[in-house]
Amino acid sequence: MSEVNNKPKTNTAKVDTRKEEISKFSLIFNKLGIYVVVVLLIIIGMIVSKGSFFTASNIQSILEAVALIGMVASGLTFVTYSGNWVDMAIPLTMAAGGMLTVQTINLGFIPALLIGIATGALIGLTSGFMIGKFRANAIIWTWGFNLLLSGVIRFVWGGKQLYADQVANDSEYAQHAANTFFSISRTYIGKYISLMAIVMILMMVAAWFIHTKTKFGQELKIVGTNYEVAKYSGINCTKVMIIVYVINGITASTAGIFFSALRKTSSYENGTGYDFSCLTAVLLGGCLMDGGKGSVVGTFGGVIAYGILNNILSWIGLGTYEKYLVQGVVFLFIVWLNTYSNRKLGKA
Amino acid sequence: MMKKYLAVLLSGAMLLGAVSMTGCGSSSSSGSGDAAKEETASDSGDSEEASGGGGDNLAESKDMLTSAIDSVMTTDNHKMMDAGSTFDVPEAEGTAEELDKLDDSDSAKWHFYEYLDWDEAEDAEFPASPADGQNGKHVILIVHGAHAWTTCYQEAFEQACDAVGMTVDVYDPNWDQSTQDGYVDQAINEAPDAIVVIPVSADHAAQQFKKITSAGIPAFCSNTLPEADAMNFILAYTGPNDWYQMRNLADNLGEQLGGEGGVCYITHNVGTSPYYARTFGPMSELADKYPNIKSLDYQSPGFEAAAVKQVVSDWITKYGDDLNAIVLADDSDQAIGATEACEAAGRDDIIIVAAGISKQGAELIQGGKMYGASYQSCQADAGLAVRTVSEYFNGEDIARVSYIGTDIITKDNVEDFLPCQW
Repeated sequence: MSEVNNKPKTNTAKVDTRKEEISKFSLIFNKLGIYVVVVLLIIIGMIVSKGSFFTASNIQSILEAVALIGMVASGLTFVTYSGNWVDMAIPLTMAAGGMLTVQTINLGFIPALLIGIATGALIGLTSGFMIGKFRANAIIWTWGFNLLLSGVIRFVWGGKQLYADQVANDSEYAQHAANTFFSISRTYIGKYISLMAIVMILMMVAAWFIHTKTKFGQELKIVGTNYEVAKYSGINCTKVMIIVYVINGITASTAGIFFSALRKTSSYENGTGYDFSCLTAVLLGGCLMDGGKGSVVGTFGGVIAYGILNNILSWIGLGTYEKYLVQGVVFLFIVWLNTYSNRKLGKA
Repeated sequence: MMKKYLAVLLSGAMLLGAVSMTGCGSSSSSGSGDAAKEETASDSGDSEEASGGGGDNLAESKDMLTSAIDSVMTTDNHKMMDAGSTFDVPEAEGTAEELDKLDDSDSAKWHFYEYLDWDEAEDAEFPASPADGQNGKHVILIVHGAHAWTTCYQEAFEQACDAVGMTVDVYDPNWDQSTQDGYVDQAINEAPDAIVVIPVSADHAAQQFKKITSAGIPAFCSNTLPEADAMNFILAYTGPNDWYQMRNLADNLGEQLGGEGGVCYITHNVGTSPYYARTFGPMSELADKYPNIKSLDYQSPGFEAAAVKQVVSDWITKYGDDLNAIVLADDSDQAIGATEACEAAGRDDIIIVAAGISKQGAELIQGGKMYGASYQSCQADAGLAVRTVSEYFNGEDIARVSYIGTDIITKDNVEDFLPCQW
C-alpha cells in the first residue's frame, strides 16, 4: 500500500501552466492598461506634430474635445461595471437636462442648473428602480425609455429648439441667467484651461472616489462580478442599481447642460450618439461588458486616448473615410489587447 | 368551454367591427391605382360641389393662390410663396465615369452632382392636371425625419396649404429609409390628390417616385435633390440650389481674401447632396476664379461644436498663418465650434463663411465672429412646394425644376433676415 502511494504520479499530474504562458507584455498591459496606448499615441503625436503636440493650445484642444464624453463616461463606467452594458437613454437624459435647464432659466441660473441635474437624477432613479427591482433587461428598458423621453420632449416642446435668451423674460435677472448659462461652456481659467475640462476632471475624481473608497463602491464590485452571490450575501442589489443609474443620470444631464450651453440651444436631438461614443471610451479603458472589471482611472485613459487619436488624425490630415478606418482599427486593437491580457492572466 | 366560445365570438365581433370601421376589404380601397384614382376623382368632385362647381372652384383657387402669394410671409418677413427660379443645364464634359477621374477642384467633375441632368425621353407618363383648382385638394407630405428644421418646414407647409385651401397629412419616418418606403406605400393606398416627398436618400428616390407615379398620383419632390434618374418619375422638384448659393458665397469669400490665401472646409454628412455642394461647390469655384487661393484640407467631424472646435484648433496649429478662411456646411453648431477655436487661438483674422441661416449663425454674424452665410429659407422651401402643387392643380405649366431664392447675409444686411426661422 505504501509502495503504491510513493510512486510518482507521472501520468495523472495536473500542472497549472498558465503562469508560464503569461507574457511580460500581458502583465504590463494589464497593470497599466490603456495608459500604455496613451503613451504610444503621445509619442506618435509628438512625431507627426513636429514638436507642437505639447503646446498649451493643443492640450486644451484635446481636453476640451473630450470634456463632454468624459463627463458622461464617468457615470457610464458604473453602469458597465454593474454588468448592465450601457444606458441607451443617455442621449435623451442629456437632452432633457438641457431642455429643463433652459425652460426654467427665469428662476435664475443656479436653480435652473439644479433642476436640469435633478432631471437626470430622476431619469436615472426610474431606470435604476426598473432594472434593480424588477430585473428589467437593461438594454431594452433604457432603449424604450429613451424613446418615451423622446416622445415626451417632442410633444411638450413641439419638436422645436429652445433658446435660453428667448425663454428668459425681459428682467435683468433672467437675461443675466441666460448669459451665464451660455458662458459655462466658454469659460477659461488662465486663458487655456476650459471650465468644461475642469468639470470633467472633477467628475472623474468624484467617480473614482465613489468607486474605490465607499461602501457602495465595494458592494458594486460584488454586484458587478456576480449578482446572485451579491444578493445572497445580503447586499441590497436594488439600492445599488438605483445609485448606479442615478449617478449615471446626473453625469449625463450635467454633460447635457454643458452641451446645450455650447450649442446655445436645447433640443431633443442633443446627445445623439453619446451612448455609443461614451461606451467606446469606457471599453477602451478596460471595462468588461459583462461587468465586474474596470476602473474610473481606466475610463479616463480611454477618454484621453479617444481625444489624442482624433488629434493625431487631424495632424496627419487623413480624409474622412481613412479616419473612420484608422479609428476602427485602433479601437478594435485596444479592446482585443484588453481581452487578450485578461485571458492570459485568467481574469476573463 | 363556454369561456372559450365566448372569447372566440368576442374576437370575431371585434374583428368585424374593426373591418367595418376602417373600410378594409371594400372595393373602393383595394389599393390598386385605378381604384385609388376613382376615389380621388370622387373626393375631388365632392370638394368641387362644396365650393360651387369646377369652373368656380378653379377661379376661386387662383384667387386664393394669388392672395396667398402676396400675403403669406415668413417669420423673417419675406414672401413665403415667391416664384422659384430655373437654371439652364450646361453640356456635361464627359460621361459620369470620365468626370469622376478629374480633380476635386475641377468644376466639371461635379456636373452630375450639381445639375438634375436627366433624359426627358425616359419620362414616365405623368397624370394630367385636373385643372379644377387646388381648393379642397388633399396632399400627403412625407418628410425625411424629425429635426427643428423639419418642424419649421412642416408648419410652413401647413400654413401655405391652409392659405390656398388644401388639406395636408404629414408622415415623419424619422430618417429611416424603410419606414419612409412604408409611408410611400401607405400614402398611395390613401389615394390623396398629390404626394410630396423629401427623400431620406437621394439614390433611393427613383423607386419611391416610380411607385407614386405608377399609381397615377402626382409626385413632387421637395428640398433634397434626388438622383437625376428619379426625375423621370417626378412631376416637379422644388428646393434650394445649394451649389449656386455656395458658389456665390465662395465668390464673395474670394473677394474678401483678395484672391490669395488658404482655405479649409468642414463638410456636411459624408455622401449627402449638401456634402458635395457645400464642399466641392466653393472649392471648385475658388479654384476657377481665384487660382492663388489654395484649398488646404477638408474634414467631416459632424455637427457637434466640440468636435469641430478640435478640428479647427488642429488646423490653426498645423497651418498657422497659411490658414486664412474656413467654409462651413452649417452655420449653427459647426460655426460655434469654428469661431470659438479661432477666438481661443486669437485668430480673428480667419474669415469664416457658412451655409445658413440659423439663429446662432445670425448672432455670430452680428457679433462679427463670422463673415457671412448663404440665405436658405426653410419656410420659402415649403412655400414653393405648395405653390408648385397648386399651380399644377390649376392646370398651369410648371417648371420641372425650380429653386428658391438666395442671398448672402453679412453684418450689413443681417437685420433683414431676423428673426430666424428655426
